[in-house]
Amino acid sequence: MPQLLLLLLALPLATALLVALLGPGRTLAVRWVSLFSALASLLLATVISISFAIARTWEAPAVDITKGTLTFDSDWIKYKTRENLLPLHTTADGTVDSAIQFYVGIDGLNIWLILLTAVLMLTCVLVSWTAITQRVHEFHAWLFVLQLGMTGVFASFDVILFYVFFELTLVPLFFVIGIWGGPQRQYAARKFFIYTLAGSLLTLLGVIGLVLVLPQVEADHDPGQSHQLTFAIPELIARVGTLNRELFQEVKQLEQAPADMEANLQQARAQLNYWRHVQLWVFVAMMCGFAVKVPMVPLHTWLPLAHVEAPTAGSVLLAGILLKLGTYGFLRLSVPLAPDASLRFGVPVLGTLAVVGIIYGAFCSLGQDDIKKLVAYSSVSHLGLCMLGLFALNEVGLTGSLLQMINHGLSTGALFLLVGMLYERYHTRKMADYGGMGARLHLLAVFMVFITLSSIGLPGLNGFLGELLALAGMYDFAGSQVQGSLLAGLGASGVVLGAWYMLTMVRQVFCGPLKEPPHQGHEPITDLNGRELAALLPIAGLCLALGIFPKPFFDTVRPEIQVVARIAEAARKRAEKDAFGHELQTSTIHRFARNGLSLAAKGGERK
Amino acid sequence: MNGDLFRALTGFVPYLVPEMILGAAACVLFLGGTLRANRHLWGSVALAALFAAGLVLMLRPLPHYGTLQAAQTVRYAAPVVFDSLALLLRAFSIVGGIILVLFCWNAAPEKRAADYHACLLLMVVGMGLSGAANELVTLFLALELTSIPTYLILYLGKGRSSSPSSETRGGGEDGGLDAPAQEAAMKYFFLSVFSSALTLFGSSYLYGLAGTTNLPGLAEAFRRASQAGAPEEWAAVSPLLGLSMAALVMVVAGLGFRLTVFPFHFYAPDVYQGTTTANAAVLAFVPKVAGFAALVRVLGFVLPTLSPQEAFTAPLALPILSEHLPVLLWIMAAVTMTVGNVLGLLQDNLRRLLAYSSVAHAGYMLIGLAVAPRLLSAPDALVDGVDAVFFYLAAYGAMTLGAFAVLEYLGTSGQPAETIDDLAGLSRTRPGMALLMVLFLFSLIGIPATAGFMGKFLLFAGALDVPANIEVAASLEQRKLFIALAVLAAINAAIGAWYYLRIAAGMYLREPPPGISAAVKRERSWPVLAAVWLCAVLTLGIGVRPAPLLQAVQTAVPHGAETAPGGHQPAQEPPG
Repeated sequence: MPQLLLLLLALPLATALLVALLGPGRTLAVRWVSLFSALASLLLATVISISFAIARTWEAPAVDITKGTLTFDSDWIKYKTRENLLPLHTTADGTVDSAIQFYVGIDGLNIWLILLTAVLMLTCVLVSWTAITQRVHEFHAWLFVLQLGMTGVFASFDVILFYVFFELTLVPLFFVIGIWGGPQRQYAARKFFIYTLAGSLLTLLGVIGLVLVLPQVEADHDPGQSHQLTFAIPELIARVGTLNRELFQEVKQLEQAPADMEANLQQARAQLNYWRHVQLWVFVAMMCGFAVKVPMVPLHTWLPLAHVEAPTAGSVLLAGILLKLGTYGFLRLSVPLAPDASLRFGVPVLGTLAVVGIIYGAFCSLGQDDIKKLVAYSSVSHLGLCMLGLFALNEVGLTGSLLQMINHGLSTGALFLLVGMLYERYHTRKMADYGGMGARLHLLAVFMVFITLSSIGLPGLNGFLGELLALAGMYDFAGSQVQGSLLAGLGASGVVLGAWYMLTMVRQVFCGPLKEPPHQGHEPITDLNGRELAALLPIAGLCLALGIFPKPFFDTVRPEIQVVARIAEAARKRAEKDAFGHELQTSTIHRFARNGLSLAAKGGERK
Repeated sequence: MNGDLFRALTGFVPYLVPEMILGAAACVLFLGGTLRANRHLWGSVALAALFAAGLVLMLRPLPHYGTLQAAQTVRYAAPVVFDSLALLLRAFSIVGGIILVLFCWNAAPEKRAADYHACLLLMVVGMGLSGAANELVTLFLALELTSIPTYLILYLGKGRSSSPSSETRGGGEDGGLDAPAQEAAMKYFFLSVFSSALTLFGSSYLYGLAGTTNLPGLAEAFRRASQAGAPEEWAAVSPLLGLSMAALVMVVAGLGFRLTVFPFHFYAPDVYQGTTTANAAVLAFVPKVAGFAALVRVLGFVLPTLSPQEAFTAPLALPILSEHLPVLLWIMAAVTMTVGNVLGLLQDNLRRLLAYSSVAHAGYMLIGLAVAPRLLSAPDALVDGVDAVFFYLAAYGAMTLGAFAVLEYLGTSGQPAETIDDLAGLSRTRPGMALLMVLFLFSLIGIPATAGFMGKFLLFAGALDVPANIEVAASLEQRKLFIALAVLAAINAAIGAWYYLRIAAGMYLREPPPGISAAVKRERSWPVLAAVWLCAVLTLGIGVRPAPLLQAVQTAVPHGAETAPGGHQPAQEPPG
């Protein structure tokens, strides 16, 4: 039933239009329409994900994992819609053989992120009920456009469509931060927009470059066939994989061959080398966009600003979903489409940057007095952990990374909610202004402690498994590019630091003698009301559920994760057998990676 | 043979009917304007003429030639040819003309409205003809047909009212131009004449070298010259080819003025700022269309393909050109977009800002021409550069005219729209206009689902699609150069986003200055509003459903693989 997913995409769009048309006068109607739409989205997403999970877990656990496919098999994609958007080439008999497509569907990698989007949207509508009082209809309209963009990115299986939705998330968030944000909102909104746009334009170049060069390289390798353009991610991955394997095998075979094949060998090497260069640059170009979005450390400066200035709903979506677009991009596109470059370049550079981010973000958090800033920097740290797991490039690490994406969305989203609720009551976010609030706001304190524990990875809650798997994955890193145990060890320090700054915040704000900030003029301070509870409970429930019973999650994501892991494994094997790879290794960018950045690279190549 | 020649020299006349209608309508307007001063009457006449011309164009789109021989004769003898590229450009210019007439409804004082619209009609004729011109003289005439009315409208427009209050608008209609407007008109006039002279100068060299003014004939002559086999022959020929390079540089420089290409761009900001919004919009659109059409024709990117039986002629059959021309265009593209975007960052005046924006977009479009020599002969290229240019030109027209039209609409209804500060809080006072302006701005940035994104996508794809032979180092180097150009364009797009965002941020993120809503006169100008909406529909339409336009553009620009014998198909009408 592909209509369900289409409905999930159409509903936010329709709601955005409807809400915009309702106009500034009918605030209450706007809020209720939004609430119903968000509830309907959540219902849809739940139905889709539960049926998908059931199919994967019980009915047919036999998505044949022994088959050893090296792409996201298009049969695995459920709720699939595939229509030509822009035909680019037509054969003589009139059939379109290359086109930009509207290709959406559900698979193991995106299902939980789509559900997470729906959950957080409901939360955002609820939390904006009283927080947003000006231009209410505009706010909700942008919010639903944002939902469309986010859901669209996750559901896309066409690279251009992916990019379209990826960019489309910028516009609404620009307005959400810029109009309803804090005092520095204009600067924050523009900085956010420009950083992300600059990065993602380069991503677009990388994607187009790959799509266009792939048939050229294939044609050089195998001139007989006709090689059409494709923008569909599964086909691209399959073709990249085939090309990687065949070019490499050809070189290896020719190396064994008698000496009179020397010319052929040279040619084959030239082809392989050229293809690897292409992959490297494709990876670098894609990395520009995704690394800004994650954000990786030297490119993270837009994040604390945007988070602090954004209204609560904006912060929740920014932290909960939008940062995941970056990591999801790495997982869905970068690693499978440029496996060799991911291994040779991505692991040392991004692995190192991830560790730097984990530690740097943690220390920044530790130094904050503003609770919201603390949570914002903790995102840098947590996303670093997520990237560390991702670039372990093995099944454990990738699973941990994906789980960590969900975890971070839940717990940091909830933290921003709680901070927003506190701010709504006292209009200050300074930790020094608070003290012993546990005595005053019981429920809020309970939730804060609960979410904090989930965020710092208490066993039994969701954070624990994600962090454990991500770190274990990196510890297990099989390649020679970095010392996995070292990176994992350093990364683990982030977990400790995380506990330190989060618990310091909880102690300062909620424990000790009661110290309320001045709040004359505001309504009497009350504990969480029903609306706020409704916003928090689903998140808390999911935290607990994921912590106690994560099996459905693992079962649903396994096939795709295994595919990615297998692709990376093949790249690793190639790198090991590679006798002439030094040519690539010593190119400028690798020297830069090795000498300038990598703390952990061992240097020297295993022969 | 004689019969063919006779038909070639006269046969195009029936296909010129749209241009004749427009020309006749222009005469009627010029004359009628002296009898009655009524902007609504004369505006409607101009619109009717444009619709009539468009109808005629639709009814008789392309001539058919009985034999290959006849087609060849037409190609080498006729002053104008009506191939599919000409059709596309004439359609462009008529649609653009409709938007401009609506847009400029209130641009001139009541008494001169007829003259103003007549000038617009003549420009439409000029744009269409520069796409159809088949020889240097006709091309020059067509270009002048766009330029001379431009000089007129710069003087015809209302004096730029420095204060938006209604008294000056009502009473000052007949008052002459203020100093900046005069400066703008003079500056444009002298530089434009100078650039025309440059073009003519280059053309005279071309004629001297090849002995013909016929464009396909020129290309043919240069191809033969450069294929001169023996070394001693080559020695005689090569200085001539060097001279031809000089001639082409002259022509490109003259046309570069119209395209606002660096270093011929510097008049644009002053002129746009000095003159009225409507005039600035005309200047941002008309010369660009005519200029790109002329450039594509003169440089021989597209040779007229007139008959389905005709074998595809690889255009630009001039090795020396395909070696050196991309370098020239590469540099022009890179510098133009960077200069436009960086200087755009510093602007506060909206028209000046849009002037730099139009410089930057001219730079983007040049990318398509720079890569075209490599792509046009590659059989399986996704785009061939030239088609991306024309696609982008359509997108550019829709979004830039739209942005100007919003300013014009605000201006006519009494809201000052001079600087970014004037637009502060527009989303509160004029939510609809603000939203449309944001649409145009995001399209100019290149956000998906707008025309600007598809345009950039095709240009980038062209630059990244340059085929390379991996065993030839030079070819790889060239490929790298074009990729670098694409990266530069991407960075430029991000730089450009900053100043477009400043406008968007001003409208949405700032509060309106106190008392503004009281001062705004709620007078609506329906034609201008229609122009805004038309541009908005085009911007969104091209962005969401680019296929029909892309198909039209690709049919207009014959491509190596598409025009294999029997494979040339007429453009399919877009469904709906």
